[in-house]
Parts: sequence; C-alpha cells; structure tokens
Amino acid sequence: MQLTGTYTFKAPRDAVWQAMLDPENIRRCMPGCEEFKTTAEDQYEAVMKAGVGSIKGTFQGKIQLSERQPPSSYRMGVEGGGKPGRVKGSGVLTLTDQGGTTLVAYDGDAQVAGLIASVGQRLLGITARKLIEQFFKTMEKQIPATSA
Amino acid sequence: MAGAHVSITVNGKSYEREVEPRLLLVHFLREELGLTGTHIGCDTSQCGACTILLDDIAVKSCTMFAVQADGRSLTTVEGLAQGGQLHPVQEGFWEEHGLQCGYCTPGMIMSVVGLLQANASPSEQEIRHAIHGNLCRCTGYQHIVNAVQYAANKMAEGAKQPIGAD
Amino acid sequence: MIPSAFEYHSPTSVEDALGLLGRFGDDAKLLAGGHSLIPLMKLRLAAPEHLIDLGRVQGLSYIRDEGGAIAIGAMTTHSAVAASELLRSRVAVLAEAAASIGDVQVRNRGTIGGSLAHADPGADLPGVMLALNAELVARGASGTRTIAAADFFTDLLSTALEPNEVLTEIRIPVLPANTGSTYLKFANQASGYAIVGIAAVVTVSGATVADARVGVSGVGETASRASGTEQALRGQPANADAVKRAAQQAADGIEPLGDIHASAEYRSHLVRVFAERALNTALGRAQGRG
Repeated sequence: MQLTGTYTFKAPRDAVWQAMLDPENIRRCMPGCEEFKTTAEDQYEAVMKAGVGSIKGTFQGKIQLSERQPPSSYRMGVEGGGKPGRVKGSGVLTLTDQGGTTLVAYDGDAQVAGLIASVGQRLLGITARKLIEQFFKTMEKQIPATSA
Repeated sequence: MAGAHVSITVNGKSYEREVEPRLLLVHFLREELGLTGTHIGCDTSQCGACTILLDDIAVKSCTMFAVQADGRSLTTVEGLAQGGQLHPVQEGFWEEHGLQCGYCTPGMIMSVVGLLQANASPSEQEIRHAIHGNLCRCTGYQHIVNAVQYAANKMAEGAKQPIGAD
Repeated sequence: MIPSAFEYHSPTSVEDALGLLGRFGDDAKLLAGGHSLIPLMKLRLAAPEHLIDLGRVQGLSYIRDEGGAIAIGAMTTHSAVAASELLRSRVAVLAEAAASIGDVQVRNRGTIGGSLAHADPGADLPGVMLALNAELVARGASGTRTIAAADFFTDLLSTALEPNEVLTEIRIPVLPANTGSTYLKFANQASGYAIVGIAAVVTVSGATVADARVGVSGVGETASRASGTEQALRGQPANADAVKRAAQQAADGIEPLGDIHASAEYRSHLVRVFAERALNTALGRAQGRG
C-alpha cells in the first residue's frame, strides 16, 4: 500500500527537523501512544492504541530512523503488529524550506497482504493518512513560536 | 468470552446450541448444523454465495452473527425441495442451464426465491436487479435470468391448478 | 475470516442500551444492521470488546409523516426506506439513495442510522442528509438532543455523537412546493460504494431557481455541500444553461480523496459532471417534468 502526502509546518526547516527527530516529541505526538522506549540510537519501540471512528486497534512495533540528511530528509521504517496482522513498511520524509514555512512530504510503502489489501484498503489508506496528519499537527504544536 | 445460547429454526427444524458470540451465521449453518449447501465465497459481503432467507428476507449469512438470528426462522437451499421434488426455482436452474460450476448457485437460488415471494412475475430488469448481490463467474447471467423466468411461469401455473390437483 | 472475540449484549430498550454504553464506554460498539461494522470486525480493523446489538430494541424502525417533518427510526432498513411510498413521493432523493446502496441483501439488513453513525466517506446517505437539512436525534443518559446534519459529520468516520449516545431518529423537514430532488452516483462496481454521489434538491419559483442544495458523498473524507454551485444557481433562470454554469463549481472547496479506484482529479471531474446531471433531473422534477 502506497502512502504519500504532505503537511505544511508554519515553522522554519531547522526547527521542524529538530522537533521531528526528538524522541520525546515523537512519543508525545504519536496518536494514542501508550508505551515508548528508546532501544538504540534512532531506534524505538512503541505501543499505540489509536484509530479513527470504528477503526481502532492496539499496535506495537519498532521504529527505525535512518538515512539522515540534515535538515532535508530521513527514512523511517516501521515494523510491528496488531490485531489486523503484521505490518512492515518504510518511507522517506522530505523537508523543503519554503521561506519560513516547511513542506514535509512523505512517501512510503507498507506491505499489506490478503483480503485486507483488497477489501480493507479503501479505508485503511485514508485512516493511516489521517493518523499521520494527527502526528504532524501535534508535532507542529511542539515547535516553539519563532519570529519566522 | 462467555458462550451464548441460541435457538434457531432452520428449514422448519428447531436447533438449540451454545455458540461463541463471534460465530458467523454461515459458520453456524455449515459447521454446527452440517448444512454445507450455503457457501462461503468472498467472505467480504459482496458475492452473495452465502445468501439465505431470514424470516423470508434474503440476507448474507457471512455478515451476521449466529447470535443475531436467535429466535428467528431461516431457510437455506437444503430447505427448498419437498418430498424429493425440486423447488420450481431449482428446477428452473436445472432445465435452463442456470449454472456451470455451481458455486454461486445456492445463494443465487435463495435470492431468487426471496424475489419470487415478493414479486411473482418479475420483469427481466427486476430479476437482474434482484440478483445484483450475487456474483456468477460462469454463466454470464443470461441462463440464470431464463431459469428465473422458467420458475416464475412454473409457479404461476401451479397456482392456477385447482386445489388437490396433484 | 473470524472476528476477535467479544461479549455480546442484546438490550431490548434504548435505556438498557444506554446503560451498557455507560458501563463499557470506549470498549463497546453499537451494532445496528452490521453491514459496515461486521466487515470491519472480520478484517479486525475493528475489535470491540463489547458488542451492543440494537436488533432487539423495539420501536426504532418506522417511517412517519409528522406534518412538518418525516421521522425515520434509526433501525429502519435501506430496503424499507427505498420502498416507502411516502419517501418516494415526497423525498425522492432519499428513497433513490437508499435504493442505490450495496445490493438487495445489504439493503435488507443495513440501516439508515447505522450508516449515518458509521459515517463512511463512501456512504451514500451523509450527502443526502446535508442536502435535505435533516436533523439527527440522539439519546443519551441525560436526555435527547437534535443535531443538524451540517454539524453531524465531523471528520473521517467520525460524527458529533458522544460515545454514550444512541442515534434514534432522522427527521427530514418537509420540502417546499415546486421542489424536485434526486440522487445520482458513480459507484464502485464491486462494493457499490460511491466514488462520487450527488444529492440534488432544487426549488423553483416560476422561471427562476429559488433554492438549490447539493450534497456530495464519496469524494472527500466526509460528505459536504457544494456551496459554490448552490450560490451560483440561486436566483438564476431555471434552465440547463444555468445548471451547466453552476455545476462547474461543484468540486470547489472539496479536498478529493485519491485512491486505486479514482484519482483526486478524476473525482473532481466526476463531481462536476454528476452535479450537472443530478441538478437537471431535480430541476425537471421541480418543474413537474417527471
């Protein structure tokens, strides 16, 4: 399942970069985060109980950040599982300076198989995008107001 | 999780069972009662192979829990033939070549029985509308439409016969 | 596919259902016709620990003419809505939308209240409720309240219903004289869900469009009104040219979803095309041309 989208932060790129890679911020912004621990540098384990409307579940998984290119891009890998089954995916986040604001674009691929891929995808895709948007929205609030 | 007691009438016979609430009605029919005429096709509420009548209304038994049918009366394809005599709809599918592989047939037949109970002489358009929720990969539907028309005619003739004629 | 295990409750009154909702809170889910929820449970995208079945609650299935409004019980099936002479003659858009949902078997089980409370972006009825300025009646432990359709659909799969409330009734205000309405959709062929669904309600006054309301389903994360088109059409001559011009704005302000079934651009295009067609039909009916 392809997951792409963008979010515009009303903050300069360096500030967004710093916020997005701060483990404490990641914990705070992850929708329904119940547990979060750093297992190694750029490697985390988390449990989240999240959802949208009727679609709801508890997921636990590993997050791995890699390919850091400050302050413009990094890769985020996710591997874990919940009731609907196991999930594995990774995507690249690109931060583009837009003169005071920052466009964050994500482009990822999650492996989903079986019926959930064919029948569930209609709702799964938009639900995932919705949760990502919630993450960015909360993240934006973590960035102290600047004079940008 | 606690089991639930259900009492469900299927094809005129009453069954009492303890079931898990998450047991789907189609699994209840197939696995608890051994009535495997009702098929599981897509398992996603689209193909209609699992169609049965719930108090004379066509429903998809893969999209209901057995506990929801507690106290209700169901008809499956096994309940159609009487005394070794095929139901007119079954006979229509036989005579008009309304099936090839047969996988969709029980659900298709139950949808048609539901239709003919509500509308004894449907137009071709009404027939096609009534089987919209039943997918067939073999026939191209034309023979199924013919089979339904055969059944409707047969049932109309039967209704015309004086009482006690057979 | 087997759903996760759950505890099953089958209350026989709204009060008992509310009691159970109060007790189990976030772990509970109401089950109406089940044709949105059970498929999600089978995919385990939903896994409620407590399922509260409204199927045995008495008195939630009816269609009544109450003078100023038509009242529809939340557990009324789509089949019953589609077959209702009252709705077919007075609120064609709703009867037509209900008739276009899924297939016969789905309509025989699926309910108007269940569909609205689930608020699927591909569902047909939310846009219809918006175009009709319907009111949704919710009962909670502390009483009953009425929610305007415009305030009801808050976000993707989300409504203004509180977790401890039950949607009990849908109220459709009587449409003024010289009003025509229709529902037109471009459906996904496999599921029947709307890729684009247009609910159009047009009132004429002589040769002029007095009012036009257009609800759009299937396009964005929630249903919405095509307010640009509505404004562009009000006060205009009641003819196809005016409709054609107004329909060009039907996708304005809507952020269309893009997925494997239709790209965002294609959805926007379809909104304009189907808005024009639906408005022409509704206009024709308002003018007494069937």
